[in-house]
Formats: sequence, structure tokens, C-alpha cells
Amino acid sequence: MNKRLRKFCTAALTGVLLAGALPLGAFADEPYDVYNYDRWGEAIPSQAGYIAERSVSGEDLGISHFANPSDIFRDYQNQFYVCDKGNNRIVVVDTEWTRVLNVLEKFTLPDGSVTTLKNPTGVFVSPENKLVYIADTENSRVLISDTEGNVKMEITKPESEVYDQDLTFLPQKVLVDKACNVYVVLNNTTSGACVFDPKGNFTGFYGANRVEQSAEVAARYFWSAIATDEMRDKMKASVPSGFSNFDLDAEGFIFTSTESSTQQTDRVKKVNPAGYNLFADYEVYWGDSNSLWYSGTTYATRIVDIDISDDGMINCLDLTTGRVFQYDEECNLLFILGTTGDQVGGFKQVSALETLDTNIYVLDAGKNTVTIFGETSFGSIVHEATNLYNAGYYEEALEPWQEVLKRDGNYRRAYIGIASAMLKKGDYAESMKYAKLADSPYRYNEAFEGYRSEFLKKYFNIIIIGALVLIIGGYGFYRWRKKKRTQEAAGKEGDAQ
Amino acid sequence: MMDLTQKQWVSHVVFHPFEGFEDLRWKKGGSLKIAFLIVFLLFLSMLASARLTGFQFVATYDKTFNIIPYLVQSIVVFAVWVVGNWAISTWLDGEGSMRNICIYSAYALIPYVAQQFICVILSHILIRDESVFISAVYIIGMLWSGILLFMAIKTVHQYSFLKTVGAILLTLAAMLAILFLLVLLLSLFQQVYVFIYSIYTEIAYRVKV
Repeated sequence: MNKRLRKFCTAALTGVLLAGALPLGAFADEPYDVYNYDRWGEAIPSQAGYIAERSVSGEDLGISHFANPSDIFRDYQNQFYVCDKGNNRIVVVDTEWTRVLNVLEKFTLPDGSVTTLKNPTGVFVSPENKLVYIADTENSRVLISDTEGNVKMEITKPESEVYDQDLTFLPQKVLVDKACNVYVVLNNTTSGACVFDPKGNFTGFYGANRVEQSAEVAARYFWSAIATDEMRDKMKASVPSGFSNFDLDAEGFIFTSTESSTQQTDRVKKVNPAGYNLFADYEVYWGDSNSLWYSGTTYATRIVDIDISDDGMINCLDLTTGRVFQYDEECNLLFILGTTGDQVGGFKQVSALETLDTNIYVLDAGKNTVTIFGETSFGSIVHEATNLYNAGYYEEALEPWQEVLKRDGNYRRAYIGIASAMLKKGDYAESMKYAKLADSPYRYNEAFEGYRSEFLKKYFNIIIIGALVLIIGGYGFYRWRKKKRTQEAAGKEGDAQ
Repeated sequence: MMDLTQKQWVSHVVFHPFEGFEDLRWKKGGSLKIAFLIVFLLFLSMLASARLTGFQFVATYDKTFNIIPYLVQSIVVFAVWVVGNWAISTWLDGEGSMRNICIYSAYALIPYVAQQFICVILSHILIRDESVFISAVYIIGMLWSGILLFMAIKTVHQYSFLKTVGAILLTLAAMLAILFLLVLLLSLFQQVYVFIYSIYTEIAYRVKV
């Protein structure tokens, strides 16, 4: 081999090696197309608010693999409780997801005997009494124990007339409010969650969904009005879908989510203590609208879990597409993240999600991992602006909104935010411009009202003078024409004679 | 008496809803040109109210725009109305010719067209709280045109009140039938076109090979 060729080969090889060593992974890209919805409900490309940072398996934490994990919960100390359904255990993990703090497998009953879990599907830790509540599904009970595994109480099938005794009692999810009432979601009732008082007595059902107004329901209503009693007995009753999961926000409101892919009504509810849905009058389409802009196939959203972050953002987890839909407290869609797939950020079968500060944790029962999403800089600006805006600080939110627009000119909330800020400043023309860009006639109307009154004030004299001149001139012209016509007519008549 | 120019006839008819058409008929007034102009203005007014209404009242979807629906809603519907009414009137001993039906009906549409344009202009001056003025203009225009159209049909065929009502209802039914047949015809022609085109492709392919 001659020298020149050797030199060339070395150079080429070095080049290839160098290229390979370049930090190509420095900017991670999402394994999916990030999108958002515009005013017309059409999907449009958008910037990512979250990015999948890493995924954690049981092996990574130094214990055996998770098996079909079903629920994840963050307690008041920011420790995470993973309900590891297939392994019949509750795993307590630290805030950073680096080590296991505790594994709850064996529980000691008050009488000293030891009991285990059987396919638990829900876990909750109450900040009030620091007890762990576990929905121990196959054992038909809710287990209440301290963090060391000493059982304080068991809640079993209520012996009440309100509770149909033919029904089984298979708790799916469990939640405890500030007064230590226990709410249990069952999969076989549509009347809402079973409520137990702090002593474990059944007190009733809470927060049932409404029946969706559909043609079928209307037809049934019509027929039942004219049917005989016998016919009526044989007819199917209109029942809503029961909700499948819930979460508590910082103020103590309970949010429920319904997994049904067909029922839109009450898919996500914010329930007040009286059981009334505070989102009942909101016109929000939770999850995906039917057709996706890049797929062509129709997938219907099935929200399996809901989580309210500390700053009030509503995160909904969609089983069908493996996506998390994040809404602000006013139900405006902020971000859509996640997908189905094998990469980090893609899921096989999502089962639960949890939030901590700016992170979102998604539990995948198919891959048996927890995926941690971190906020991007775009996401943090949007959140800052949204929080300021929703708190009423429109002018303070102006700068972050402008920053948002620099990065994503499609982001509709930013146009609305700027329109509101300009309106508050009294810059009506600018506000009108941004309201138009935001496709919001309502905000345009407000800005236009101000603009018009300013305009009238400024040009009042000219308008009045102009109107007077027009009226007088018009009248004069009318008189003049009439006179001319009568003259002409007289002239004609004169000619005729 | 009543030696009016064609332009004067228009305002005479519009501002004398109850005798205007009788006068017009008696004097054999009315111009087809003006009628066509009014129908064209109707088309423009529909476009204007769909595209130019003030943004505070309606957000216009402007990602796509298709002019065909507006053409159909104004010019085609008017043509079908004229044809349908003429067909019904020949059957119900009406005295109007197709030309007169066209002229009288078009003249009757003037308040409606004016109302549309006025509403569009008002929608740029008013805010949402004052939308009652727009509704008022709309209702007045609709009623006025409705009365004019009724009188136009009554006069052009020399019908009694009840017969006019019946004729108008039958005309609406006839319009539906005509539109249905039109759609059917269009789709059939399209299929014929596709058939011929596929034969052409086939032959062209064979010739090439």
C-alpha cells in the first residue's frame, strides 16, 4: 500500500470516528410528532412542553422487575408508592427514583396474624393520618396500614341496603379526603364511588356520572312515555358509565375520569362536596378529537388515570394512544405528550400517572417501567404564563406569552394572553389584532368596544359636523331636485298645451 | 298616470307592497336586466354576510373557502324557484309568464338583499351587546321581503289569498323535487363520464402496447 493511500485511509477513518464521537444525542427528540389543537379542533404541529428523560424499571432500582404495575402515588414526603399488582407488593421509592425505600409485602393484622395482598390495583397515602390505603382487589377489601405494614383497619363489602348484596366488592382505586373519609372506586357500579367514614362505616355513593344525551336515550325516553308497565320493565335503563379513576387536588376537590371511549359527558369531572360537577358547563373535548392529522385511523380516547399537579394542572392519561393530555385549571389544553412505542417516551399499556413539581411520571403496565417526563424550557414558559394569566395577572403574563410566540407561532393561548394584556393596558388596536389572530370573537368584541369609544371621543366633533352637513345638504338637494322636476313638468305641460 | 321609468318602478314596487305589483302588472313594467342584477346582488350579499361580517360577531373559518354553496344558495335556488313556480302555475291556471315570475320575484327580494348589506355594515360598527339592532334589521328585511314575495306571486298569477298560499307551498315541494332530480342527474352524468374515461384509458393502453 503506498503512502498516500495510507494517509488518506487514516484521515477518512479519523473523520468517521470523530463524527461518531460528536454528541449527536445532546438534543433528544421525541419519538412522536408533537401537536396541539387549534380553535377549530384541528390538530396542528406544536412545540414539546415535556420530554421523556428516562425510564426506570424494577431492576434499575435494585429489586425484581415490576409485574403489571397498576397504580402510582406520591405522598406528602414526595416518596412514590408503586402498586405492583403482579408481584402483590407496594414498592416505596425515593423522590429521585434511584433507590427503594421500602417494600410492603406482608402485613400484620391487629391480632398478630400475617396477611398478603392479592392483585392490588390502587394505593393512596393520607397526609392527615400518614396511613397507607391499599385497594386489595382480589381479597375484596381496602387495607389500611401504617408505613411499616401494621394493619390498622380493613374495609370490606358494606352490609347496607343501599349496597346491592348481589354485587361483589372489588375495590379498584382508593382515595382519602381531608376529613379521612375513604372513597373507593368499584368496577361494577355506575352510582359513583363508595364512601366510608373514618371508622370504616359505609355512608353512601358519591359523584355519579350523568347519562349522555344521545339519540338512543331520547328514543328510549319517548317509548317509555307511551309504553305499558310490562314493556317498560323489559326495556334497558339508560345508565351512565361509571368513572374509573380519581384524584384529589390541593384544595380538596375530587377529580374523576371515566374510561369509556364512547361517553363524552362527564369524561372528566371536578366534583364539589355536594357531588356536583363543576365542569358540567364547560365545553371541553377531553382527549383526542376523533381523527388524527397524521394517522387517518380513528382512535377513541380512554382516560385511565387523572392527576392534578400542585399548581392545578389537570393531567389525563389516555390508554388508547399512550398520551398524556395536560390542561390548565380552566380546562384549556396545554400539551400533549407520549405515544405508543418502544422508545423512551413510548408506552405499551399505560396504567397510571403522577406528578411532582415539573415532572410527570407515567406507569406502563406493558413495559413494567416508570417513565419520567421533564419540562422543557418551552413548557416552563407556558406554565409560567398560564399560571400568571389564570391568576389574573394579564400584564405580568405578557412577556412570557411573547416568548411563547417566538418559539411556537401556532400557540393559540399566547395570542389570547397577549390580547388580554393589551386590553388591560388600554392598547385596544393591538388587542384587536391579537384577538383576531387567536380566532376569539369574544375578546375581539371587548377590545373593539374600547377602540370604538376611544375613536368616537377623538372624532366626536368631526362626526357631528359631518352628519349635520350631510343632513342639511341632502335636504337641500332633495328640495332642489323636486323644484326642478315640477318646473320640468310644468314646462312639458306648457308644451303640450 | 304612473308613467314611471324602470328605476322608478323598482322603488314604487318596494315601497308599495300591496298595490305596487298590481300597478306594475297593469303598466306592463319591470325589466329582466334589473331582475338579474338583483339576483346577482343577492349572491354578493350572501358572500358578504358570510365573509365580511364583523369579527366580534363571528369568527370566519378561512382555512378553506368554497364559492359553490353560495352560488347554489342564491342563484340556483332563485332559478329553481322561478321554474318551480312557473310549473305549478301552469297547472293552477296562473296568468304569469316565466319572465314576469322572474321579474316580480327578484323585485320582491330587494329588502332582503338590502338587509344583508346593512347588517354587514352594522356588524362593523356595533358590539355584541347591541346585536339587537342587527336582529331588528334582519327581521324587518325578512318580513318585508316575505310580504313582497307573497304579493308578487298573488299578483303575477291573479290568485286569491288562499290559492297563493297553496301555490307557494306546492312551489316549495316542486323545488325540492327539482333539486333532487338535479343532484341525481349530476351524479349520473359523472358516472357516464367516468365510464367513458375508463374506456378511453383502456383503449389508449391497448394501442400503446
